[in-house]
Amino acid sequence: MDVAKEKELREADALANQNIIDKALNWGRGHSFWPVTFGLACCAIEMMSAGGPRFDLSRFGYEVFRASPRHSDVLIVAGTCTRKMAPLLRRIYDQMPEPKWVIAMGSCASGGGPFADSYAMNTGVDNVVPVDVYVPGCPPRPESLIFGLLQLQYKVNHPAKVRLMNHGK
Amino acid sequence: MGEASTEELIVNLGPQHPSMHGVFRMVVHLDGEIVTKVEPKMGYLHRGIEKLAESRTYQQFIPYTDRLDYLASPCNNLAYVQTVEKLMELEIPERAEYLRVIFAELARIASHMVFISSAALDIAGWTTWGYPFRDRERILDLFEMSTGSRMTTNSMRIGGVQNDVPPEFWPALQSFLEDLPDMLEEYYGIYLGNEIAMGRMKHIGILSPETIKDLSLTGPVIRASGFDYDVRKAEPYGIYDRFDFKVPVLNGCDTYDRNMIRLYEIEESGKIIRQAMENIPDGPVMAKVPKLIKVPAGEVYHRVENPKGELGFYIVSDGTQKPVRIRIRTGTFTNLQSLNKVLIGNTVQDLIVIFASFDAVLGEVDK
Amino acid sequence: MENKELLRKRVDELAARVGGNVAEGSDNLVLTVNSQYIIETLEAAKTFDGIPCDFLHDLAGFDAKDHFEVVYQLRSWSGPQKLRIKAIVDRDNPVIDSATRVWGGANFWEREAYDMFGIVFKGHPNLKRIYLWDDFEGFPLRKDYVTEPAEVRNITRVRTDNE
Repeated sequence: MDVAKEKELREADALANQNIIDKALNWGRGHSFWPVTFGLACCAIEMMSAGGPRFDLSRFGYEVFRASPRHSDVLIVAGTCTRKMAPLLRRIYDQMPEPKWVIAMGSCASGGGPFADSYAMNTGVDNVVPVDVYVPGCPPRPESLIFGLLQLQYKVNHPAKVRLMNHGK
Repeated sequence: MGEASTEELIVNLGPQHPSMHGVFRMVVHLDGEIVTKVEPKMGYLHRGIEKLAESRTYQQFIPYTDRLDYLASPCNNLAYVQTVEKLMELEIPERAEYLRVIFAELARIASHMVFISSAALDIAGWTTWGYPFRDRERILDLFEMSTGSRMTTNSMRIGGVQNDVPPEFWPALQSFLEDLPDMLEEYYGIYLGNEIAMGRMKHIGILSPETIKDLSLTGPVIRASGFDYDVRKAEPYGIYDRFDFKVPVLNGCDTYDRNMIRLYEIEESGKIIRQAMENIPDGPVMAKVPKLIKVPAGEVYHRVENPKGELGFYIVSDGTQKPVRIRIRTGTFTNLQSLNKVLIGNTVQDLIVIFASFDAVLGEVDK
Repeated sequence: MENKELLRKRVDELAARVGGNVAEGSDNLVLTVNSQYIIETLEAAKTFDGIPCDFLHDLAGFDAKDHFEVVYQLRSWSGPQKLRIKAIVDRDNPVIDSATRVWGGANFWEREAYDMFGIVFKGHPNLKRIYLWDDFEGFPLRKDYVTEPAEVRNITRVRTDNE
């Protein structure tokens, strides 16, 4: 399926389901993401640092890194996703249960980074999976990743406001 | 009682697997619990750096070397800029040489710390994982205050280093070096001196000297098998011949010694940094080089000792601003050839521990 | 240095035997041979009398526009001797004998050279693409390879069964 269309449908879906129970559930989801360990390259080490003693991701409730995609709800694409890896990324994304979100960490995942013109690279994972939050940097600092996760929390809790922000309001 | 026969079982590990240290993949053939055949599969992080090099100028390529072995990027920078300087026959200022050594050895320590963390994690040492990561942050702080970046420092330039370190760098480095022996003691106490770790790793994954010679293995892996071979001593590059340090050698040939050798190497790196700190002269950190570097036509091969094995650069130049070919010989890529020899006959739970002891970094394996 | 002179002497002897060409490179001696003599050359270099170059440090392909080269960087486990051996390979029919018989360590490097340049190593135990997927078209490090545009590269590949 066209990934841009898929993202549009997902966001419309999130907007439609906004009764009081959904809001309560979203509040809970936003405060305890379970990311899947999908470390690909340099960014994976910064993702580990974010979970490490100094930055301590567990302050925010996001430290439960799961090895299996079937246990998790956030896919942090940490690093360079090559063309060889792209079908596997899609497969892992498809294995995750709903609701699920994607963070593209680092410039390689966001737009190909310094390798964008290489024969083995695509230009960003948004060609493969619908991305909710882009974290810039090469690699991004752990603080950036934490900020990205908090932005995702905001998006989960307030889909309507984020939609307005996307339209420049 | 007849002999029980089992069907061959094929297990796929990776590329997305928590113990594969990146996107490495192994297809393991098992007979019961015993490994009978291993097919390493790689390329899931192949970014085509060698091809990109042909369309970049010599300076533009320096950041790409950061992303080879991303745990020790100053070491990669050092290898690349020294290769180009060798081809240009460029003299670089003394202070820059010392700063390069300090950065490279700090990176070696940081890389080995990540190794200890991740190797411990593979035998479920969650507590151990935290300690080296905590201490590594102090090295990253040093990198950050002098280059502005934590991991991919891009600190070296053709002709010197990017800029001089700030004055607050030295006291921070001093205090780090003072704490280093305590850190090592802590790692030993919590991980390698632990009876469980010893039981898991001793006499497992024997790497014989014949295999090493045949497969051209390099790095700490061979020094844990009794090889006294280190490029810093065998073919000194930069100013490494000025320092007084030992090459630690262990004779166990097993997984435990491949872990233990890293602790000794951290200790020796600390010694080198201490000497470099005492002897560093004042002066400029950058030689006079033109903005657009044209490297004279020719070819050169240069190798350095990286934390995970020897890194070699083979550069062919035709006298223009862009190289004709940059070939990168990486340590772990070569070291992984021995998996088939080391893993066969071991049980499947030891496979993870043995693989971890090779300290594979996929950025370096796949380029 | 007598070490260098001895190496030079041995390399000259070898070059005369296999019809090679010795040149003084910027960092070490370079011996260029034709591809059919490569195994003989490597075996001889590995057992040079008194000065063995018994450490295959690197093996790489190189595209010299009108022909390919396979470049072997030799070092020693015991001494400072260095030697670079280049084998000239025909561009239209890039076939060369595999060095895995001499050094098992050539295995992955030869697969890489096959992947990147399409050089076929005769006698290699498992000559398959190592980095790229099996149905990738072309050999990317050849000078005449044209990288596909981003629109093509962005289409997610379909995985083959045995990949």
